[in-house]
Amino acid sequence: MQKWFRDIDPTVKKESLYIAAVTGILSLFLQAGFLIARHWDHTVLLGNLLGAVTAAGNFFLMAITVQKAVTREKKPAADLMKFSQTMRLLMQVVVAVLGFVLPCFNGYAVIIPLFFPRIAVMIRPFLDKKKQ
Amino acid sequence: MLELAIGIILGCCALGAGAAMIAGIGPGIGEGNAVAAACEAIGRQPESKGDVTSTMLMGCAVAETTGLYALVIAILLIFVAPNLLVDILLKAVGK
Repeated sequence: MQKWFRDIDPTVKKESLYIAAVTGILSLFLQAGFLIARHWDHTVLLGNLLGAVTAAGNFFLMAITVQKAVTREKKPAADLMKFSQTMRLLMQVVVAVLGFVLPCFNGYAVIIPLFFPRIAVMIRPFLDKKKQ
Repeated sequence: MLELAIGIILGCCALGAGAAMIAGIGPGIGEGNAVAAACEAIGRQPESKGDVTSTMLMGCAVAETTGLYALVIAILLIFVAPNLLVDILLKAVGK
């Protein structure tokens, strides 16, 4: 396990940590939004947790795949990426369906965090500019 | 007749959800092409591996969102739209 963790590219670790951190922060905003709208209950919290873990996990899996793919030839790399994307999309479909079917999760609170990595990428240039 | 109308609504929602998921194919192809180009770039300039991987990751995250939009539309068509549309139909026929 430790060896596997050591083999992960530092870029992958850095970017995954960034995405996980922004997803966590945005999840807090989501909880606050539900609280303000007076729709908050434990299903929102559980749904948000499920969605946020799936979103961050999806990005990490994608990053691991990219790390593996860039060491291969062009065609096998493209095939690996297509396969990985299909599997990850299926994982997200299962999570979204679980979120809507199981009563312990709020469906909307599961779906919304799946978009947080996109928002994290969108705000990245502004954060980089601030650092510079 | 009402059962037939409800059946049509449910069938169309399921068809719509299936059609929406076709968009899930696109990001896979796009990401595949991007990674293939990244392989070539790293092969040419191995010292830029970190920068290329970082840019790739961000690009892939953006590309994935298209599939997510399709997923959300499909989920809404399966779990939310049928109830809404059937309610509208029942109100329209006065039941």
